[in-house]
Amino acid sequence: MSAGSSERAGAAAVPAYEVRRLSFRYGDRRRPGSGGSPDWVLNGLDFSIRQGEIFGVIGPNGSGKSSLLKALAGLVEPQEGAIRLFGAPFDATPRDTIARQVAYMPQDLSCDFPFSVLDTVLMGRFPYRQRGMWSVLGWERETDRAVVERAMAQAGVTQLATCEVGRLSAGERQRVLLARALAQEPRVLLLDEPTAHLDLQHQLDVGRILKLVHGTLGMTVVLVSHDINLASQYCDRILLMKGGRRLCLGSPTTVIIRSNLQEVYGCEVLIDAHPETGLPRVSLPRQDRVQAGALSQF
Amino acid sequence: MILPQASVPVREPESPVAAVPVTDKAHEGVHAWGGLRVRRWRVVIGLLALATCGVAVICLRFGAQPLTLSEFWSALFWMPAAKEDVARVIIWEIRFPRILMGLFVGASLAVTGAALQALVRNPLADPYVLGVSSGAALGATTGLAFGLGSLAGGIGVPLCAFVGGACAMTLVYGIAASQGRLPVQTLLLAGVIVNALCSALMMFANSIVNPASLYRVVLWLMGTLGAPSVPVLIGLGACAVGATLFLLRQSQPLNLIAVGEEAAASLGVETRRVQRTVFFVSAFLTGAVVSVSGMIGFVGMVVPHVVRILFGADHRVLLPASALGGGMLLMAADTIARTVVSPEEIPVGVITALVGGPFFIYLLMTRKYRFIV
Repeated sequence: MSAGSSERAGAAAVPAYEVRRLSFRYGDRRRPGSGGSPDWVLNGLDFSIRQGEIFGVIGPNGSGKSSLLKALAGLVEPQEGAIRLFGAPFDATPRDTIARQVAYMPQDLSCDFPFSVLDTVLMGRFPYRQRGMWSVLGWERETDRAVVERAMAQAGVTQLATCEVGRLSAGERQRVLLARALAQEPRVLLLDEPTAHLDLQHQLDVGRILKLVHGTLGMTVVLVSHDINLASQYCDRILLMKGGRRLCLGSPTTVIIRSNLQEVYGCEVLIDAHPETGLPRVSLPRQDRVQAGALSQF
Repeated sequence: MILPQASVPVREPESPVAAVPVTDKAHEGVHAWGGLRVRRWRVVIGLLALATCGVAVICLRFGAQPLTLSEFWSALFWMPAAKEDVARVIIWEIRFPRILMGLFVGASLAVTGAALQALVRNPLADPYVLGVSSGAALGATTGLAFGLGSLAGGIGVPLCAFVGGACAMTLVYGIAASQGRLPVQTLLLAGVIVNALCSALMMFANSIVNPASLYRVVLWLMGTLGAPSVPVLIGLGACAVGATLFLLRQSQPLNLIAVGEEAAASLGVETRRVQRTVFFVSAFLTGAVVSVSGMIGFVGMVVPHVVRILFGADHRVLLPASALGGGMLLMAADTIARTVVSPEEIPVGVITALVGGPFFIYLLMTRKYRFIV
């Protein structure tokens, strides 16, 4: 494995992530030798994510895509396999170090306590906190505040700084989470279902977020989504998963094809080209036609 | 909404996500609010500390034995004056230990309440939610029932209570912890179950003891500060200061956990370690407090909420402000409890609920505090 990674490092940059034979299941943390049983959520995944690409993960419910994202964020400990982050083995890397390189943006933020937007964004500086006996409260330094101010400006939440997070709209909360992620100054941004429960206008904001972090800041982005069209429009490469396994990995035009989606989702889909980008676009067929088709097969 | 042309959406002028050029000029004016946060902290905590001292002096002034103002001041500052001995004894040997006790107990309850609300991410949590208090109550009841009150130089009942609390804490942790994690819901349920179990055992113990013991148990359960002995005072003070300092160090991890356990972990918080240590330190402090003062309700839940309404949810402000606020509330409540019907006393828990409740309702209704469970 190390030989392979050094070869690639010679050619270009090291990949942002290298995932090798990754298997994970909830429950017993270490029970080696029981691979292949049906309750594995991730089952021998193998792939790498290049630096600076937008990498999409799609698949049906229960295909393990959210668990994969958690594994990439270091939130779950896989029982088997290995992850390398910019060439460094994940297990041996302290959590703070991971947090300085990888920002995980959850779907939403729910909190029963009146934290302000500024409080929340300042939390993004936690991996850079001062240590030692006398920094009891862990106040941020001037440099931290500069980073936070910039992150809030980039995410467009400067005006909301003193607002209570719990009272914002879903779209505003997402921008607060983005600001917190940017305050981490990461090299990789992990997005969990970025368009879930957002209206069209805010889905467009997700596009702007991707353009900002990928285009302007040059981050690597990994996004997990139910929204195949979102993945198709923005991702450089897409991983299609089923049952914790990799079914297909490649550019949107090679992954989003009828046979793949029908195999994974088990239903008929229509695929045409997006009117502006020409990238594949997925629609569901009319209900009566599906039934007619299904009946005609008998 | 139609995209203008390209494969990536084009940024509109009024776009909320505007790419701000990364230059040094961009963060001018930051230092203003940056410095303000620390300065605000100093002002808030400084003023609260002054207020706490003020409340303590006012509480020293009142008691069962009336003192004139000149007697009070001369005794307070140890000035040589007539009748100084009596006043000095009253103020420094009778009232002062009790007021100090009120400060320690109130501060401990409020600071543990604030920390536990963040830990279980539930605004309804209070120090008694962990079941430690019921264990302590069971221990104290057993001690009183078997006449162990005079054991170990008069601190037999606190000792029994503390042992009971420690057992309950271990039991709750054993039920809730799985693989080093402390799942919030399981923790709350374990606390409820242990509470119920201890209450049942306590009622059983109460039903078989003689009426005199029962009366003492009931008084103890209502919570009273009493006249603390010096070792108790020193022990409690050490516990309160040590645990509060420890919890203060966990302010930022608690902030992160309160907003979401998973996000906290992704930001580098060792969530398991923080949960475990905050649980044990809070439970230990609760056990110590309940052992010496019984069950004083209301302080631990309401003071953190009042502080949040006034100063925000950041635990770096919340924890010290809650400690001072809780101390002030309990000192004042205890002064009321021992003066209103003097020479008799009302259980201080009655006063905290009667005074704090309406104040909290007022804040809820005027400040539109979000209170979703």
